[in-house]
Amino acid sequence: MKLLSNYLKEMKIAARGFYFYIEIAMAVILLAILLLVVSETSTSNRKQFVYNDMPQKIAEYLKDKSIKDGDARLTDATEFKLKPVEFVITNQETGETAAHDFDDEKIIKLETIETLDSSTGELAGTTYYAETEEDMIRLAYGESEIGATAAMDARGKVSYTYYLQGYETDKLKSLLYISHSESPSVINAKKDKQVVRTLGVMKTLNNRENLVPVFLVFAGSLMGFFIVLAYIFYDKAEGVIRAFAVTPSPIWKYLISKIFVILTTVVVSSSIITIPVMKGQPNYLLFYIFLIITTFAIASLGLLVASFFDSISKAFGVMYAIMIALLIPAFSYYIPSFDPLWLRFFPTYPMLQGFKEILLNGDAGYVLTFSLVFLAGGLVLFVLADKRFKKTLTV
Amino acid sequence: MINKLLVIFKKDFLTARRDAMATYIMVIPLILAVGITLFAPGLNDTTVKLAMLKSDDIEHIEYMKQFSKVELFDSVDELERRVEKRDDIAAIVPSSNSYEIILQGNESEIVEEYAVLLNTLYELGATKEETTAQLISFGRTVPPLKTMLVNILILMTIMLAGMLIAMSIVEEKAENTINAINVTPVSQTALVVGKSLFGSTVAMLGIIGAVLITGYYDINWFMIVLVGLTSMILSLIIGFLQGLSSEDIMEAAGSVKLLFLPIAGSIAVYEFVSNKWQWTMYWSPFYWAYKANTLILSKTADWGTVLLCTAMVIGLSLIVYILSLPKIRKGLS
Repeated sequence: MKLLSNYLKEMKIAARGFYFYIEIAMAVILLAILLLVVSETSTSNRKQFVYNDMPQKIAEYLKDKSIKDGDARLTDATEFKLKPVEFVITNQETGETAAHDFDDEKIIKLETIETLDSSTGELAGTTYYAETEEDMIRLAYGESEIGATAAMDARGKVSYTYYLQGYETDKLKSLLYISHSESPSVINAKKDKQVVRTLGVMKTLNNRENLVPVFLVFAGSLMGFFIVLAYIFYDKAEGVIRAFAVTPSPIWKYLISKIFVILTTVVVSSSIITIPVMKGQPNYLLFYIFLIITTFAIASLGLLVASFFDSISKAFGVMYAIMIALLIPAFSYYIPSFDPLWLRFFPTYPMLQGFKEILLNGDAGYVLTFSLVFLAGGLVLFVLADKRFKKTLTV
Repeated sequence: MINKLLVIFKKDFLTARRDAMATYIMVIPLILAVGITLFAPGLNDTTVKLAMLKSDDIEHIEYMKQFSKVELFDSVDELERRVEKRDDIAAIVPSSNSYEIILQGNESEIVEEYAVLLNTLYELGATKEETTAQLISFGRTVPPLKTMLVNILILMTIMLAGMLIAMSIVEEKAENTINAINVTPVSQTALVVGKSLFGSTVAMLGIIGAVLITGYYDINWFMIVLVGLTSMILSLIIGFLQGLSSEDIMEAAGSVKLLFLPIAGSIAVYEFVSNKWQWTMYWSPFYWAYKANTLILSKTADWGTVLLCTAMVIGLSLIVYILSLPKIRKGLS
């Protein structure tokens, strides 16, 4: 009963403040971004500059063919500004170098063709056709994108010279080499004969849905860590925590009421983001269980950190370092090939994966297992924070 | 005036040293810079992973190792369990006279395409020696992802300075030192400039240290310092605004959270949105600062573009300052 009245009192104070409404406004803005700015299908902004060293008619025929086949579409010509620049290029096989020094400045318009994904029809990349090899090389250097010269010999065989930036991996370079050791028609014919077996019919999140776990973890649960610290330091400044020493109410009730305020805010803001995007797809019971438990654990971590400092500026270093560390798993979420073992020990790693599974209505076992882990971890952190606050009452 | 500014600067420096604030603004970017230096190679290597059987032909395994990260397994069951894990990995296993590619079903399309292409080339007996392609390199060694991370770090440091100013003003308000300034010979302008001077100096040192640690020695330092200082002006104005308009730490925290939106939006639009939609973030000074830093770090900046970007940052900062001047005056009084 005391806990409920504490919580209601805290909620009333929060509702009077500015912060609660910022959270709601932020959730509405993020939802608007998801619905209005982020498309459901992912598009690529990969660019390449090409110079066709072959008769004009053949080059046009090849471009027209790919447009007719539905692999590409012609779009408006793109304007580029070429600036004075000097650089050195190195042939990877021979080691020969050549210096380029351009001192003129000019604006050129390049024919632009967008290549399309064969299965989704979405934009897969953009190719700009330069009229001279010099322009192509300058653009590849200036725009830091790949460049290529497609040259046709007397027998009609096309060979490529690629202009790479230099930081590409050896594996990628090797792939470029062997991709051109057979003719494209032979490779394509053989590719069609490859046997691919999938282990199951797996659901995937579309481009828009894929952002929801990131918003839930970083705008919701993780901000709970920051906000619980701010709440505690606010109360410390006001002397509220010290006042608990002379009341019959145990300190843990005060601490848990703070967490409940955070939970209420996070549940409301997360629902605003999730429900309109995901509609009826996720298991909402599991969603709210996981959301509440992970927010509780992260907020308990915030309480423990707050117990060691008496002002937010003093806690700033630790707080900032923890928040940055918790952000790192986002790289693995977006770059699946970057998945080192040590990263899995960061709490936000299973949080991101857990929300992904919930939104996919996938592996409930994974979600429940980590719910238990976060619950246990959160309880331990909460007990430690309670002990610290009881011991000091002032810091 | 200069003396008073220096007094405030010195006072802030001493206070900050006690609270370890200056250390945070300077040391945090340096620690993060070390982190970026350590992680960047792993992030840049987006090579596809392949699972294969140990019993497979050694020549086949070695062939695939030239183009992908290969993990070896004793049995098909073990290999399938690996494919079913959360990360993206394709398996290639012998099947009758040929090979079969096994996928979990939720991998990104590029993983399937890569595995199919590699197996195709192996079955065709394609080798590097038979290639008709030539590779020419511009000799750049820093991947764009690293540049992006360092640039984000610069913006975060600038924001960190603003956040700390906001927090320290809220605390000073709580201790009534802001009111006390009004009965001293120090003007409100001197207070604002004095505090900004301290935040800018420490944050700039942090940024320079971070840029050096991440290995960008041969960039145009005049340009980076110019962009850093001009974008700092905006951050400081925002820090002051947040601090003066917030009644307590909770309100300041809320404002800080809102500040993430234009920063994240500017980065996302610059990096991931096509040229025709770039104008959507022209209103954000963070966009111009990010653009200028990207060009400087990738060594493709020219003075014309850098000056345009800094002019935009200063112009937009001034607009924010003029619009919020009444609020700053009210807060200081």
